[in-house]
Amino acid sequence: MKAGKFPLLYPTGSFVALLFVLGAMWYAASSQNSPAVYLLLFGLTAVFLVSIPHTLLNLADVTIAPESAKPAFAGEEVSLPVEIMNCSRTTRRGIELVLSRSCGERKRVDYIPAGKAARVTLRFPAAKRGEHRVGTFRLTSIYPLGFVRVLKKFASSQTYLVYPKPSGDPRLPVHRAHLLHSRPQTDLGEGDDFAGVRAYVPGESQRHIDWRAVARGQPLMTKQFAAEAEGSVKLDFSALHFQDVEERLSQLALWVIEAERVRRPYGLCLPSRAIAPAVGEAHFHRCLRELSLFQEVERARA
Amino acid sequence: MSKSRITKRTQQWRDTAIPRRPLLWLAAALLFTLPPMFGMLASWVPFLFLFALAMKFWMEPRGYRLRSFVLKLILAGVTVGAIFLSYDTLKGVEPGVSLLAVLVALKILEAHTAREFQVMVMMAWVLCLCGFLLSQDFAIAFCLFVAFALLIAALVQFHRGSSEDVFWLPLTTTFKLLAQAAPVVVLLFLLFPRINTGFWLPVGDPHAARSGYPDRLSPGRIAALTDSTNIAFRAEFPDHRTGPPGPMYWRGLVMWHCEGMEWRAPYGAMPISDSSRPHPESDKTIRQRITIAPHGARWMFALDRPFEVTSRAILARGNYLYSVQPIRKARSYEVFSSIEPMEKELDPYERRQALQLPASISPAVRELAASLAAHDSQPRAIVNSALQFFRTHGFRYSLSPGEYSKNDLEEFLFHRRTGFCEHYAASFATLMRLARIPARVVVGYLGGEYNDLGGFFLVRQADTHAWCEVWIPGNGWTRIDPTSVVAPGRVSQDFSSFLASRGASGEMATGRSAFLTRLARLGLVNQIRSAWEAFNYQWDTRVLGFDADVQDVLLTSLGLTNRGPILLIMQVLIVIAAVLVIYVGWMQLRTRPRTDRIQALYERFCQKLARIGVGRDPWEGPSDFATRAAQSLPNESKDIRQVTETYIALRYAPGPAAVNLREFAKKVTAFSANR
Repeated sequence: MKAGKFPLLYPTGSFVALLFVLGAMWYAASSQNSPAVYLLLFGLTAVFLVSIPHTLLNLADVTIAPESAKPAFAGEEVSLPVEIMNCSRTTRRGIELVLSRSCGERKRVDYIPAGKAARVTLRFPAAKRGEHRVGTFRLTSIYPLGFVRVLKKFASSQTYLVYPKPSGDPRLPVHRAHLLHSRPQTDLGEGDDFAGVRAYVPGESQRHIDWRAVARGQPLMTKQFAAEAEGSVKLDFSALHFQDVEERLSQLALWVIEAERVRRPYGLCLPSRAIAPAVGEAHFHRCLRELSLFQEVERARA
Repeated sequence: MSKSRITKRTQQWRDTAIPRRPLLWLAAALLFTLPPMFGMLASWVPFLFLFALAMKFWMEPRGYRLRSFVLKLILAGVTVGAIFLSYDTLKGVEPGVSLLAVLVALKILEAHTAREFQVMVMMAWVLCLCGFLLSQDFAIAFCLFVAFALLIAALVQFHRGSSEDVFWLPLTTTFKLLAQAAPVVVLLFLLFPRINTGFWLPVGDPHAARSGYPDRLSPGRIAALTDSTNIAFRAEFPDHRTGPPGPMYWRGLVMWHCEGMEWRAPYGAMPISDSSRPHPESDKTIRQRITIAPHGARWMFALDRPFEVTSRAILARGNYLYSVQPIRKARSYEVFSSIEPMEKELDPYERRQALQLPASISPAVRELAASLAAHDSQPRAIVNSALQFFRTHGFRYSLSPGEYSKNDLEEFLFHRRTGFCEHYAASFATLMRLARIPARVVVGYLGGEYNDLGGFFLVRQADTHAWCEVWIPGNGWTRIDPTSVVAPGRVSQDFSSFLASRGASGEMATGRSAFLTRLARLGLVNQIRSAWEAFNYQWDTRVLGFDADVQDVLLTSLGLTNRGPILLIMQVLIVIAAVLVIYVGWMQLRTRPRTDRIQALYERFCQKLARIGVGRDPWEGPSDFATRAAQSLPNESKDIRQVTETYIALRYAPGPAAVNLREFAKKVTAFSANR
């Protein structure tokens, strides 16, 4: 990733302490006119000054490559893996990575050998649903002496998704009238009983594939269980009686999770958009993504 | 929920114990700040400090620390009380340093966070400063320098974290930092203006009482100095001329006032006026650079008969140097001495002074003096017969001649006849005055030890000596050393070898010095000692001697003073900034990744294209990019394709490429897209 043009350099808290010490030394040296104390004063000053280039160059040729963050539900934590790469010919030490927007949580890498990379995972709270920008990565270091901090900013246009916080009634809605595909009913019990197989849809979880059939040379088939036979469920935004949009989205999110859990096909029906019933991980994320981006879509329409 | 988790985590971070390794480095550094405390502070202070350090290492792995605020308060109160009891005051350097040391000890027990580690390092640096306030000896300075370096290592270790890849890293990094800092230190030390703030810290100088001889030559005073190996001063001869062969007499102080066995210097030195001061020919002069150890009084030393001194000193009546201010720290000066007496005339005032006698001189002594002049009343003859008297009447030289009081001249001359140089000088000068010959006593040092490595003479307190000067018309003040008559060995050698040669005869004072003398005969020990002395000398002359006044001289000689200190500070800072920039460039050059020349050329080519609107996407391969670029820039399509083909050939062809690098470079340079 491309960093800002120049690394920034600013003093740390222990620099203030150092100033006090240097001040005390200067006072003693000048009041006693003592060359030995002057030597100590200048020695400390010089070591401090010389440590500045060391700190400044501690981030030279160090760059980062953020990976994509997994979506999280609001109220949980987003984890964003980032690779810190040391392209220089020397070991870099004491590197810290922080996102300017997350509340000050630093991730520290003690050392990265020349030409190697280190992986850190930044975690920060997912506060609100929707699509958010990651913001600016700040790579900092105070090695070796800790009197100055060097800062390299990496502005990123990367985004991450926060799904609505699932809440409400976990029971799936029962709309017999709205059943999309009428199927002969079996029972309404728990989804444990084997009820037959159907063709595998790419993107589905591989957990329910009938591997024995595959071994026999048959095509990929997914085993279906009793609950699934219940038929698909339509999750309709406008059918919900809550006033608050967020509450409705939360309820829908919860249902999506529940339906996915029992592997019952579910369709999503939003004012602007409808998603045909299906089941599987890809579908699951597609639905949640729609929910998390809901308002934005609405506003775009309006 | 998430917020509380974060605060919990930061709290946890705050509560972490300080990692063991940085703590070890810090403890090592603190140990090296201890030596100046021993002997200078109340003895329990360094021991408490040591105890706290040991406790810390016992407590740390068990997770103990000083938590209770009340306990901290009580401990602080108790220690402050103890300091007050030890010194009867809390003011001054020693109680202040004790207070700081004790606070650091308590802080060690209490510290448990990363921030407190930094605070401890800072406090340790202040302890280094305190060490210098207590003593500026080279040995102490050496310890403090080690402590200083170890503190840097502790910080490096602390900031490098838990990576265990190289154990010596803190030391190598420290060494690198120190090596890079050295030129900056030299620059700052030499040129940075020493602005005197004018607020004087009321510091009782701990050196004041330590060395130097008294301004009163009472019996037994000098003998007390003979077992002191403290250094009095060092002398260099910049012109490599050390004067006439024979013992070196270093003139210190001239005593005019006689009280029989006791002599005294005038209370204030009277300067010799410039006009009356004769100047000897240049081949009779010896230039010396002398670095004097602080003794708290004002006398300074030079080879016999100094006649010109450079700064901050006067030439007092009696031809000795007298500092304008008490010498409280090591000081360097240059002085010229003449090898011959200079005055040809004795002025009446000095004659009166040089003939003054106390009333209480016994008739027997007066009779002796009269008998000396009986045969020949020529001054030279009187001097010779007095020396003859000392030679022939069984006088003995001894370090422990027993007690004499100031009226014991008779006892010394007729009964006991055992004495030290001061007794001989005092009695001889008194006899001369009784014989109407102007005489005075000179106190100074005799001899000195040559240091091969440093090329200087080292004079110790044990070399203290006293001799006489008598006025011989036509010759001026003439040096007479009655001790040389009694103990010729003492004058021709320096004192320690004199003692060593007499060790066999059972005159040795203590077993300790016998051991030291034996040790001193070993070659290696001698060499180490000599090297140490050389460093010591450099420290005293180059560092301790370089105070604000010397700096002024240097700045003036460099022509840097005329435009004020602000400009000088700016100039120094600019030079330092330049040095730092050089470091940055050098370090960057050493660590920058090696770029592939083919790659670099290709990137330049891509940049050229990007400038006119066809940027290469990171995921785009060279040939895909070439196709796209050729489409949007039909005019240049041939060039683009050619360059890309060359690049691919150079970079990906198996075996040696058909085109060479130079050709590729030429193509890239020649490529220019104009729309």
